[in-house]
Amino acid sequence: MADLTTPLKSSRHYIARDILVKAALYLILVIGAVIAIIPFLWMIQTSFKTYGEHSTRTWWPAGLSLTPYQGRPATQEIVIPMQSAEGWRNIPRSFNPALEGKITINQVSRYVADRLAEKDFSIPFDVLILATDTTDDGIVNYDSYRLTVDSRIVEQFTTRIDGNEMGGPNFNALSVRGRWGPHIQVSNPDPENFTVKVTWSIWRMLFNNFIYAWKDANFAVFMFNSFKITAITIVGVVVTSTLAAYAFARMDFPLKNLIFTGYLATYMIPGAVVLIPNYLIIVGLETFFTETLGIANAWYDNWTALTIPFMINAFSVFLLRQFFAQIPDELYDASLIDGCGHLRFLSQVVVPLSKAPIMSIVIFNGIWAWNQLQWPLIVTSTERWRPVTVGLTSFISEASAETQLIMAGSVITTIPILVLYFFTQKTFTEGIATTGLKG
Amino acid sequence: MNLPEPQSKPQPTKGQRSRKMREAIQAYAFLLPGTLILFVFSLLPIGYALYISMHKWRVKRGDFIGMENYLKALGNPIDVLFVLLGLGLLAGSWMVWRKITAGTPTKILAWRIGLAFMLIFGGFALFLGFPKMLADGDKDLFESLLITFYYSLGTVPFQVGLSFLLANILFQDIKGKSAWRIIYFLPYVTVTVASAAVWQSIFDPTKGLVNIGLAGLGFNPDTLPRWLFEAEGVVTLIGNWIGVEVPEWAGGPSLALISVIIYNIWTYVGYNTVIYLSGLGNIPHSLYEAAEIDGANRWEILRKITIPLVSPTTYFLVMMGILGTFRAFNSIYVMTRVAGPVGAPQGTTMTASMLIWKNFWNGNRFGYASALAFVLTGVMLSLNWIQNRISEGRAFYG
Repeated sequence: MADLTTPLKSSRHYIARDILVKAALYLILVIGAVIAIIPFLWMIQTSFKTYGEHSTRTWWPAGLSLTPYQGRPATQEIVIPMQSAEGWRNIPRSFNPALEGKITINQVSRYVADRLAEKDFSIPFDVLILATDTTDDGIVNYDSYRLTVDSRIVEQFTTRIDGNEMGGPNFNALSVRGRWGPHIQVSNPDPENFTVKVTWSIWRMLFNNFIYAWKDANFAVFMFNSFKITAITIVGVVVTSTLAAYAFARMDFPLKNLIFTGYLATYMIPGAVVLIPNYLIIVGLETFFTETLGIANAWYDNWTALTIPFMINAFSVFLLRQFFAQIPDELYDASLIDGCGHLRFLSQVVVPLSKAPIMSIVIFNGIWAWNQLQWPLIVTSTERWRPVTVGLTSFISEASAETQLIMAGSVITTIPILVLYFFTQKTFTEGIATTGLKG
Repeated sequence: MNLPEPQSKPQPTKGQRSRKMREAIQAYAFLLPGTLILFVFSLLPIGYALYISMHKWRVKRGDFIGMENYLKALGNPIDVLFVLLGLGLLAGSWMVWRKITAGTPTKILAWRIGLAFMLIFGGFALFLGFPKMLADGDKDLFESLLITFYYSLGTVPFQVGLSFLLANILFQDIKGKSAWRIIYFLPYVTVTVASAAVWQSIFDPTKGLVNIGLAGLGFNPDTLPRWLFEAEGVVTLIGNWIGVEVPEWAGGPSLALISVIIYNIWTYVGYNTVIYLSGLGNIPHSLYEAAEIDGANRWEILRKITIPLVSPTTYFLVMMGILGTFRAFNSIYVMTRVAGPVGAPQGTTMTASMLIWKNFWNGNRFGYASALAFVLTGVMLSLNWIQNRISEGRAFYG
């Protein structure tokens, strides 16, 4: 009897085992994928938090929920009774306000007022509006308004009480960078009838950290620099390595093998060894250009130092040479009859045929140029040509405690590469898988 | 029988020669921009670096001091020679030892075993110069090499092992292969500075994801590890945790370095997986079919076919991994900045490349930093050589 049932049982057993194995495999894959993705989710999630939310380890940022947007009052104009201010705490003399006015938090932000009530916050929280006379001529013409509406402080009141600290009401108050606070503009500066226009910007409520990183932390400049540096490097690499690869693949000249070996040998040169001499070469070129040609910053702190040293690499030349060598000779002979020279053959036949390898060179060198940190760190000194990697690195120390801003900066830095990756995903992975082994 | 020599090649006519010349000139013109850049920024700097390393060079060039920078780094040249000789003998004995197994006659076998033992002892005897070299040379350098060694040892095996596992799973009949591949590859394509910043915040002792998770699992929130801020060795920490006193020399890599290692593994597993996948794809399918007909089970197929046939890829990945840990700069620089100056905390993440950076950029010791760079290159080349020896005959280059 047992013998009769065994085959059936075992085949069932087999199927069950197969399903179990499959499930286990998928489980491992899922765990791996989760670990690979979690840091990205953490980065995005944190970049939408407020300082308070991050430091109190709030799981979900309020900015990514509906409440603050629904509770937001309509645009309104509020008349504020202004009084003359008598020197205001420890703000430098020239910025001392002449007038001082108050609006209560209840007037401008239902959401913040509710949060305050929820948290049983007993200190009366006022929004100060200070009109400053910066002309120092005794006539009261207020051209600068100090709007201390940084209601981020409201979210942070548990951790930050001192108003002069970063993020406090007196810090950087000139720009209204409150997240749950409204955007306040002075619509009528007449001291008798001082009116402010209170609006709520969903854009700012949602993307406050990104806006801060982009504008105040200068990521706009850094990103533009990185784009320029990457583009110049790519153009340089493509031009120089196409020419060199063509010469190696299709032309005949003395010392060809020796020069090609020399090219390949540079692939082995360790970066640590050439870093210092290269720095000194740039410094030397800089001194030469300043002293004899009278051009300052021709190399140091300029695109030249950032891109020219990387405008060729053995890998790209090798990759292209392999491809060019496969182009049949008949094509060249035919175009020779048509009166083509090498340059025209290269530009009109070879390059259009080699779109794929040129594309992978563009991608690899682009990513590589975008990722550079060490070299721009030593050859840039101002923000003029500083790429985003260096910008983000110094931003990490500047904004040290404000992790949410650092994460916003990281998102901004990563996005172009990720977009490129998703669009060229196939070339990308396959290129790395095939060329990685041979390079 | 000899065929009559064919007519000697026709002499190139004048026109052909001038065409050849024109082509050569044009080729040189094509090569000019690239070669110029390579010469100025790749070849020239090597000689220049050698020149710098033989000078006292602090921002401006100082006196010529010959090999003094190297001696300062490595200690007494005789010690160095002894150590190198010892290592050479050890390597030689190992090679002799390996030859033994290949069915040799008894007499030669005995002779060879004797030789191997002699070489081993000789090697060890000479290798005893090592402590002296450590004492005379730059302590920072040897410490950084040890840290780099920990870094490699903590990174490469896990990186390669995990990616081998993932690649083998993805090679099965799995749905959505390219989707998995895209996901696993993400960490590698992200900008290093950005992902390092993210991981630095994940490892934050109070607000980071890791410690939030640990606290959620019920660990005491007051005694959670301080990750990137922790200079204490992991062995010491584990010892403290279970209540065992660990001697100082056995402390192991600092927890900060372990954090960097975890980041590194996270970054490279996907990349290695993709490369393994192409390696697996190159294995002829007929081999698997034959093995299945012979009744081999999964485990046997893995051991007897997959692992040996994919070994060139493994070798490549191990080599790239080790060289990568020697070169790593961006990730360590960005991640450890929060804990203090270069190599923070307390120099426990000062890998060799960070030490060069510290001497170059923070210490302005250009000459010494160049010498260190050459020493590091020497170490990397010899590691590469050793790996080549070891993999010889084991890797199957199908």
